[in-house]
Amino acid sequence: MTLLKDLTRGLWRENPIFRLLIGMCPTLAVTNAAINGLAMGLATSFVLICSSIIISLIKNFIPSKVRIPCFIIVIATFVTIADLVLAAFFPDIHAVLGLFVPLIVVNCVILGRAEAFASKNPVHRSIFDALGMSIGFTWALLLISIVREILGMGSVFGINILGKAFTPFLIMVLPPGAFLAMGVLLGIMNTIQDKLATR
Amino acid sequence: MAKYMRLIVVLVVISIFSGAVLAQTYKITYPNIKQNALKKQEEAIMKVIPGAAKYKDISKDNLKVFKGLDENGNFKGIAFIAEGGGFGGSIKLMVGLNPEEEVLTGMTVLSHLETPGLGARIEEDWFKEQFKGKSIHDKFVAKQDIDAITGATISSNAVGSIIKNTIEKVYQVYGGEF
Repeated sequence: MTLLKDLTRGLWRENPIFRLLIGMCPTLAVTNAAINGLAMGLATSFVLICSSIIISLIKNFIPSKVRIPCFIIVIATFVTIADLVLAAFFPDIHAVLGLFVPLIVVNCVILGRAEAFASKNPVHRSIFDALGMSIGFTWALLLISIVREILGMGSVFGINILGKAFTPFLIMVLPPGAFLAMGVLLGIMNTIQDKLATR
Repeated sequence: MAKYMRLIVVLVVISIFSGAVLAQTYKITYPNIKQNALKKQEEAIMKVIPGAAKYKDISKDNLKVFKGLDENGNFKGIAFIAEGGGFGGSIKLMVGLNPEEEVLTGMTVLSHLETPGLGARIEEDWFKEQFKGKSIHDKFVAKQDIDAITGATISSNAVGSIIKNTIEKVYQVYGGEF
């Protein structure tokens, strides 16, 4: 039961993007196409799950005075692995995500979960927590990027779905579009949350 | 003292582990990364030398120069990598040159760290196209013989001077014979 709760926490109740509003930098910067949002979500998930496991395993060995540098080394190691693997096997995605892959190191979702959960809980619970947060982060990124790609390009995953009659709002795939999409989606999410709470 | 030792030991141990894991990952991914870079380089060379189907590496003295050949082995021109400082960091270009007519045959951006939306527009086609057919004796100065990008005169000028400087170096080293 606790495990299920750990898993579902990140999906909605403490969703990093729509409920906690952390990790905004990649959320706003790379969600201009569905494939980029998905790739960023998966890369972050990989780092989050791996670093949560390691940090949970070594938590008793780390003195609290140097815990932040230790967490950062662990996280940075997995980020570099993700960066190298993307560059070697998915060069196109690596070219688009570019600088944002190394920036996963400072994504507050990851350090936040390390500090708030993995460093205080056993490994199996940390895995479920990280998994839930990863799914929550990825679906939020995917939703924002799908909305932006449909409105800005008329397509989803590069496949045109709105036809030629639709004139795309180019602004939606440019940086301002990130704020517009994020703001409207947040409003919708808050409305849903209010409905759920009053029930 | 002992309590500080523990902090140091823990950090050192974690760092060593991290280094070892990364060294291994690098070893596994390096061949692929190198191959991807080579493929990208080949595509760039083909793009800047019209009619080239294959190329030969004739690099020397820190200059990366390639000879473009068509299917029958006829000489089609040379391409060289031009690198230098831009506004935000190093700019790396692939430039095509026809030594017989002494004109550029094309230019493409390999990598840069310019400001997105401003200097990064050096990647746009209209900017790159203007170097095609340009005489190597031109000045390559923005707003004089190069159209500058609005709000990014430094980046535009940097591209011009990087190309100009590298052409001079290539001619110094090779003396016009390729």
